[in-house]
Amino acid sequence: MSAAKTTTSPKRLTDLLDPQFMARLDSLDVLSRKILQGKLQGERRSKRRGQSVEFADHRPYVAGDDVRFVDWNIYGRLEQLFLKLFLEEQDLTVHIVADASTSMSFGEPSKGLFIKKLTAALGYVSLVNNNRVTISFFTDGIKAQLANMRGRICLQQMAECLLTTEFDGLSKFDSACKQLAAGRIGSGVMIVLSDFLFKQGYDSGLRRLIGRQYDLYVIQVLSTQELSPDLSGDLKLIDIEDADAAEITMSAALAKYYKRNVTAYCNELKEFCAHRGLVYVLVSSADSVESLVLNYLRKIRLLR
Amino acid sequence: MEWLTPLTALYAAAVSVPLLLLLYFLKLKRREQIISSTLLWKRAVQDLQVNAPFQRLRRNILLLLQLLMLLTILFALARPILSLTTGPGQRYVLLIDRSASMNATDVKPTRLDVAKKQANVFVESLRSKAFFSLRERSDETMVIAFDSRAKVMCNFTADKRQLISAIDAIKTGDGNSSLAEAVVVARAFAQSPGVEQSIRSAEEPAQLVLFSDGQIHDLDQIVVGSDELSFHCIGESSENITITAMQARRSYEDPDEINVFAALANYATEAVTCDVQLSTNGDVQAVRSVTIPPSKTDSASDVAKPGKVTVNFTLLHAEAGVLEVRHLRSDILSCDDAAWAILSPPKRLSVLLVTGGNVVLESALKACPLARLDPCSPAGFDAMDHSVLSVEQPYDVIVLDNHLPAELSRCRYLVFGRPPDDIDVSVPQQLENQVIVDWRPKHPVLKYVNLTNLFAAKCYKMLLPRDAEVLAEFNESPALALVRRNGGVFLLAGFDVLQTNWPFEPSFVLFCYNAASFLGMQVGQNQQANLQVGEPIIVEGLPAETTAQIAGPGLSNRQIKANPAGSIRFPGTGRVGVYSLSIPDQVPKLFAVNLLDSQESNIEPLRQIVLSSRPIEAQQRPLSRSNLPLWPFLVGLALVLACLEWLVYNYRVRL
Repeated sequence: MSAAKTTTSPKRLTDLLDPQFMARLDSLDVLSRKILQGKLQGERRSKRRGQSVEFADHRPYVAGDDVRFVDWNIYGRLEQLFLKLFLEEQDLTVHIVADASTSMSFGEPSKGLFIKKLTAALGYVSLVNNNRVTISFFTDGIKAQLANMRGRICLQQMAECLLTTEFDGLSKFDSACKQLAAGRIGSGVMIVLSDFLFKQGYDSGLRRLIGRQYDLYVIQVLSTQELSPDLSGDLKLIDIEDADAAEITMSAALAKYYKRNVTAYCNELKEFCAHRGLVYVLVSSADSVESLVLNYLRKIRLLR
Repeated sequence: MEWLTPLTALYAAAVSVPLLLLLYFLKLKRREQIISSTLLWKRAVQDLQVNAPFQRLRRNILLLLQLLMLLTILFALARPILSLTTGPGQRYVLLIDRSASMNATDVKPTRLDVAKKQANVFVESLRSKAFFSLRERSDETMVIAFDSRAKVMCNFTADKRQLISAIDAIKTGDGNSSLAEAVVVARAFAQSPGVEQSIRSAEEPAQLVLFSDGQIHDLDQIVVGSDELSFHCIGESSENITITAMQARRSYEDPDEINVFAALANYATEAVTCDVQLSTNGDVQAVRSVTIPPSKTDSASDVAKPGKVTVNFTLLHAEAGVLEVRHLRSDILSCDDAAWAILSPPKRLSVLLVTGGNVVLESALKACPLARLDPCSPAGFDAMDHSVLSVEQPYDVIVLDNHLPAELSRCRYLVFGRPPDDIDVSVPQQLENQVIVDWRPKHPVLKYVNLTNLFAAKCYKMLLPRDAEVLAEFNESPALALVRRNGGVFLLAGFDVLQTNWPFEPSFVLFCYNAASFLGMQVGQNQQANLQVGEPIIVEGLPAETTAQIAGPGLSNRQIKANPAGSIRFPGTGRVGVYSLSIPDQVPKLFAVNLLDSQESNIEPLRQIVLSSRPIEAQQRPLSRSNLPLWPFLVGLALVLACLEWLVYNYRVRL
């Protein structure tokens, strides 16, 4: 097995998203299972009645209502004033939270590159559909954040952020989530991208993010080397982040127990998410981002 | 099951097993490997330890395999032996022939090596008291090597290593073989309790095991009980060409001329033509081709007689030197291919005649070809400085005619009349009218001498010491005797010549000539320079405590010391060849040691030997092990374990 090494870091957005893929992404949009309240008028239905072309209901006119929305046809038939109500269309906040700790640079291909590609794809879809996009990179706190981007115009900004962020730092998911929850803007879809291999645990952190305001997606990215390691001999395994060492003698039994542990860990996370109404996705860094985005994420109705 | 070297294995185990364990428990040098998180690995290791109660054992299966492998190797080191024979322990005496005929190379490398190998096989087949066995008695063995003498290599012991090293220490010799002494020694030792001092009594008879080619001189002198001796015959071929006799002497007429006589024998069944080479001091003088007829079986006695031929060489050589006669055909026994003789330089004798006036004696001596004949009166002889006579040796022979000197110098004497005192010859009385009854015509002194008519009117009755040689006897007393005493040689004639009819006999002059030349020979010790194998080299008349060096075949400058009487005796002439004795301030003395033994040169292996009319057949088959060494199996097992360990290691690493 080769040591974890980062593939040549992408220089341009097209390194992350190739143009054909981008073209196919144009037809997609981010979906939220909840109908959430946006901030600005947008292209999304909201609970709020407001101005749009979509008729919602009638209600009796009361003094002070805008006379422009009186349904004059009904007044002609019934001689009573009814006001036409429309569904208000508002924008959707898409918050992409990506892990930028050192461990993400591990894997062949590296988990970090995969996350960057996925972030770019999701960000692109969101920006193109005029959603309010926030991208946060966290390690032990928020390391980098691009907040409230809207429109295709922000693509360059997003690309710059993605291309310049380095995977470096100790992951402290709990404290990072505390900061995220505190600085939460609006409501919408939140997508958390990480390997979720946190020594302190992921549950308290995820609990902070769960709330009515957010539709939470948990995408766990693991490298092939983590899923089925190809190790042999007497080894001293060194944690890439905290240099913690584990001495193992590789054997068939140990490999079996490791695989069982990986499965159990992922299942635990999946169960945690299922209980709390979160959507959990496990992907390998060796999978293709295209098929994930175009097929799987549509299947679970994150995109349409 | 026996262990040949259990202690070695125990020592090795004491070192290697803790070492292996130590190595195993030393911290492994682990390869460092960077991974994204140790979280899951630590859990997996924990799971492994928690969920697998036998995991530690499984982890150590390699150690177990290594330990097993080490143990099998250690067991192999202890040389376990599975004994295939049963019965109580016995006592054996291995008699190994190391005589000249055992140097034959008809079986490779030599007969003696094969005999030693067979003896080793015999020893390895012995049953010893095992470490863990209940058998309380082990076989005990002693080793005797014999040629003309028996040598005890090892007393009774059950220690196989000691026995094998004793057998390996047997060196080849060129002596002839006589078994009687070895059997006597073996029986004497069989009475002793042996090295281990076991309570095993001496009444248990020891079994004699003989390794030989069967050519033993004195088989008819040995009596053995039935089944007491088992015989292993070694050797295949009898084809040998040998020099059975060789003599070199200077001509009487011309001292520069040397006549060399050699006899060759052929023991093969076909006639053989070979070259015979004569060399002096290593320079080839002559080569002559001879054809030796084949050996023939005498129809009457059914004994094979070798074909014989004689060769004569004549050469002129006026100096001292070593003569070598060698046949140039390579055969299976090399020690009898050559014979040597030491030539002394031609010499004329100086004789001192001490007499009160004896015309007969004086004229007889004058007739001999002497360099000098000095007559001297008895008073004049007594007045001489005897120490000068001893050291400088101006006279080769001193003739005492009816004179008893007060002091005797270290010389050679021809004594007529009463023998001197101090030489252990006593004269109790005088006898009258004695006639000769017997004499030794083959002795050099009496060569061509006919004493039939010798009559003595008066003579002295001589009581001789035991080592004296009697050359001729009157009816009541020895007439002529040879006595060696105090570094001197005395040829005693116990009568006055004028009291006999001898002066009128032609034999008197011959006797004077022979006696003078024989005694003169004793100066150069020419006689003693040509020896048979095993005969000691004796040099006398040296200053006391002289240190000399001897070199020869298989000897490199060994120091020997003269005894206080001034004589050097070196018995180690076990090999044929020329020995040289270097004495300070003297010309090195040379000695030729020859086999010249037709019976020893007959190397035909005998399948049956007859010991005092009891025939003993040789064992049909060569000895084979009667026990099974287990170490090859153990080593094989260790190899299998090593393979297994390799497989397990690979299985664990790969899967």
